[in-house]
Amino acid sequence: MTKVKKNKSAIQRRLIPSYIFLIIISFISVFPFYWMISAATNRTLDVARGKLTFGNYAVENFNKLVSQTPLWKALGNSFYYAALQTILVLFICSLAGYGFELYHDKWKDRLFAVLLLAMMIPQVATMIPLFKMMSSWGLLNNVWAFVLPAISTPFMIMLFRQNSRNFPIDIMEAARIDGLSEIGIFFKIYMPVMKSTYAAAAVVAFMNAWNSYMWPKVVMFSTDSQTMPMLISTLASGYTVDYGVLMMGVLFCSLPTMIIFFILQKSFAEGISGSVK
Amino acid sequence: MKKRFVSLMMAGALTATALVGCGSSSGSGSDASSDSGKKDENPTAKAVDASKEGDNELSVYAWDAGFNIPALKAAEKAYQKKNPDFKLNIVETADSTEVQNRIILAGNAGDYSTLPDITLFQDHGIHQYTTNYPDVWKSVGDKDGEWDQFSQEKLSYSTINKKHYGYPVDNGAVIFAYRTDILEQCGYTMDDVTGITWDQWLEVGKTVHEKTGKYLLSMDNSGNDLPYMMLQAEGISQFKDGKASLTKNDKIEKIFEVLQKAKDNGSLLLCNSWSDYTDQSIQGDQVAGVMNGNWIIPTMQKVKENSGKWAITTLPTLSGEEGYASNGGSSLYITAACKGKKADLAKDFLHYTFGGGDGAVETYDAALTEGGVISTFAPAGKSDVYSKGVEFFENQPIYQTIVEYGTHVKEVEQSDYHYDLRTNVNTAITNLTQKDKSKRPTVKDALKEAEETTNAKMEADGQ
Amino acid sequence: MNNMGINIQKKQQRAGWFFLAPAALLIFVMNFYPMFQAFMMSLKTGVGKNMHFTTVPFFNYTRMFSDKIFKQSIGNTFFYLIIQVPVMLILAILLAQILNNKDLKFRGLFRTMVFLPCATSLVSYSLIFKSLFATRGLMNEIFIKLGIFKDYYNFLGDPWSAKIIIIIALLWRWTGYNMVFYLAGLQNIEYSVYEAAKIDGANGWKTFWHITVPLLKPTIIMTFIMSINGTLQLFDESVNLTNGGPANTSITMSHYIYNNSFSGTNVPNFGYASAMSFFVFILVGILAFINLKVGDSRD
Repeated sequence: MTKVKKNKSAIQRRLIPSYIFLIIISFISVFPFYWMISAATNRTLDVARGKLTFGNYAVENFNKLVSQTPLWKALGNSFYYAALQTILVLFICSLAGYGFELYHDKWKDRLFAVLLLAMMIPQVATMIPLFKMMSSWGLLNNVWAFVLPAISTPFMIMLFRQNSRNFPIDIMEAARIDGLSEIGIFFKIYMPVMKSTYAAAAVVAFMNAWNSYMWPKVVMFSTDSQTMPMLISTLASGYTVDYGVLMMGVLFCSLPTMIIFFILQKSFAEGISGSVK
Repeated sequence: MKKRFVSLMMAGALTATALVGCGSSSGSGSDASSDSGKKDENPTAKAVDASKEGDNELSVYAWDAGFNIPALKAAEKAYQKKNPDFKLNIVETADSTEVQNRIILAGNAGDYSTLPDITLFQDHGIHQYTTNYPDVWKSVGDKDGEWDQFSQEKLSYSTINKKHYGYPVDNGAVIFAYRTDILEQCGYTMDDVTGITWDQWLEVGKTVHEKTGKYLLSMDNSGNDLPYMMLQAEGISQFKDGKASLTKNDKIEKIFEVLQKAKDNGSLLLCNSWSDYTDQSIQGDQVAGVMNGNWIIPTMQKVKENSGKWAITTLPTLSGEEGYASNGGSSLYITAACKGKKADLAKDFLHYTFGGGDGAVETYDAALTEGGVISTFAPAGKSDVYSKGVEFFENQPIYQTIVEYGTHVKEVEQSDYHYDLRTNVNTAITNLTQKDKSKRPTVKDALKEAEETTNAKMEADGQ
Repeated sequence: MNNMGINIQKKQQRAGWFFLAPAALLIFVMNFYPMFQAFMMSLKTGVGKNMHFTTVPFFNYTRMFSDKIFKQSIGNTFFYLIIQVPVMLILAILLAQILNNKDLKFRGLFRTMVFLPCATSLVSYSLIFKSLFATRGLMNEIFIKLGIFKDYYNFLGDPWSAKIIIIIALLWRWTGYNMVFYLAGLQNIEYSVYEAAKIDGANGWKTFWHITVPLLKPTIIMTFIMSINGTLQLFDESVNLTNGGPANTSITMSHYIYNNSFSGTNVPNFGYASAMSFFVFILVGILAFINLKVGDSRD
């Protein structure tokens, strides 16, 4: 038992159950995606009857989707809102995380505890008051109505705050001696050092923004301002649903977040790891 | 470090109970109790962007691209004969619920300027919404429509406190359509299913299911309209004197017994959701019969293989008389956002088209051919388009027949809590038809429960 | 000199307040203030023009305890909570533990695949699951071909299977998400700790229980609270997959609250809906507190 080094094949043999388990789990994880893609290439009746193989209707479904719905407009809107929201979330929440952790005192800690409460507020409860607020500010169907309530979230502040614990304080002192202002430290030192946290936060923020549905449905109701999730839910709630077209829409709604994740996934894992220390 | 995180979260949770205090400190000084809507005169962003909208342009909310939207397009075209530059900006909503939610939101914000000029609205919901938000819609004068030419049952929805509010669009008259080829295969004709009792119908249903595996009737189980239609055919409402009343009438109990038997002997298929009802049961060709408002016809026609195999007739009743009912129509209403000259334009447009004016026959004819929308306007029913035989239905002149059905529908007591009761009745049906028969309540108990739940809500809402 | 040091520190503290001010202000305006308004609303009843304070103060709060459907929705929500959260978190830790093994090949690929589900939007994944488990859908076809079922089974039409499908959907969507947190936590544990354990003769299970779990405790507590919060506010799955049915047997608290405000068909009562929201809020708070207490006492 004390032999630490074993030959490689023996290690791999011991890992066989792990591989089998992982393959099963991965299959379950990926299968619905396969189903979504194959459904997007089939006719509605084939989808409803559970056809598994690819069909020849991808082009037709795509053409129908483009002609029946404002697909490009909705994609454009979703990108615009999600990008703006992500940038603001990253800036405001990292600034707050920076302030809470690196300048912390008793009162800031107390305030942070109070802010955490916002995590527990059910969305349905605040929908009417928030709508009233947006309406009275004249922001309905305006991108700000979409992003304002989502910019500052306790979770994001927490993510940055936890990660800031690894931030070398000595550098700050050195920078101060060099005459850098407090905000200068944030821009010139904190931001570059916290790169991977920003990447992780960007993934989460972008996904949240892209996938949000209930609130946009309340404030972004004009056809010109609708988003991808709204578009596919309209497709799904029609009086007769074309499942092939619907799945094509779902595909278009899922691709961007998947791509973002693929691009940022390495930094994502690193960024999250700082937060759970 | 870990410790600190834990204690931090703990502090957060601890303060949970103190939330109310914390919330009030942040909210003090502002008028928090303005729910009933202080009027904000600032015009805010408009649903359809009024700034871009010309003077000769109206906006409208409508749902169902295969039905209401073609009807509105037909009206726009008809009105352009009178007013060539007119433009109708149709905003498609996901469903009727979305329109209702827009009204709620605008009503609670006390700012109706976010609404379009006109909205389509569900007949069953309109009374409730005009009670709660009295200023949302504008009433229209008696002279703004040829009111006596419409079905009175239909107008009873859009007439509130004896004032006209809405312009009728479709006719909700219920049809019972059967697959004649399947009936024949089982030794029946259309005569055998016309003017029969529900007990006789159950026999037919049983035979059909045994011989062909198809169901003689299917229904969406999450918004069950079956009992409403069956009871209206009997002239009975599920409400009495403003309260849910299901237990004081034996006939109601009998109707639910029919439903239970129908489920058990294979006559009735209950689907999980509306999409299952339309997509799986009707378009998936699982049924030999369809009973619903005639707006279901376009859905049936999607199965082209079955063209020429359908025919329509009236509903069975408990006594065996021919039954007539109406379900799920909607009408057009002018909103408070439509002001001044726009309001006149809207009235003129709606009167000319859906209100029975000079363009009405043209509108309704086109609405029928484009979207399958059948009107309740009597002169339209006499036009050629209506009297033509329809190939899908063995060349029966079904549209004329449906307009005629509409005239026989009895008015029954309506309630704001129509849909609340429907939800509770749906629970009753689910419990009455569950697989494990030993767990089923008696019909009486199930109805009592639905009645009590509805009335309890009514009472609590009034507190 | 000393005085100046204090001044600098004060200045720095003030700078800190400036940095966190925008975020804090936004949370107050966008979360706490609306919540306060919702509280005021919870004292009222009626809709639109007819909105007024209840004749009995706090009537909406007493009302919910005699509301059968609300009580049922509490039961359903706790059912999801009790089954789904532990299963999901255990599965997530297990996956993280396996994926943390440096000898494993294709780690990046496996990790990506397991995480992939949480990239889908809630609307999309509800639709996918709904069509997978439809009566004539793919799952039925597969089970019939395999001979497990004799006839089409209505998964979403039966109270038990409907609830199970919701749980399966939740597991699918969120296990990978939680796994990432554990994986990150594990990567902070020095590999030498495991080596030492091996030398001491600890087997895989012992190492897991005595080393991994204690070291992951803060992460476990965080994911537990996040999951409790998410499950108690569960909404989309109930609406899109089962519509709360059959006969309210799968409806969640948030869904019932929504039905009392935005269902569009039922008569809305925002006062009552707000009161129920506060109930959910307090429930989340209490459970989070208990969780922290239990987590702490094992130290």
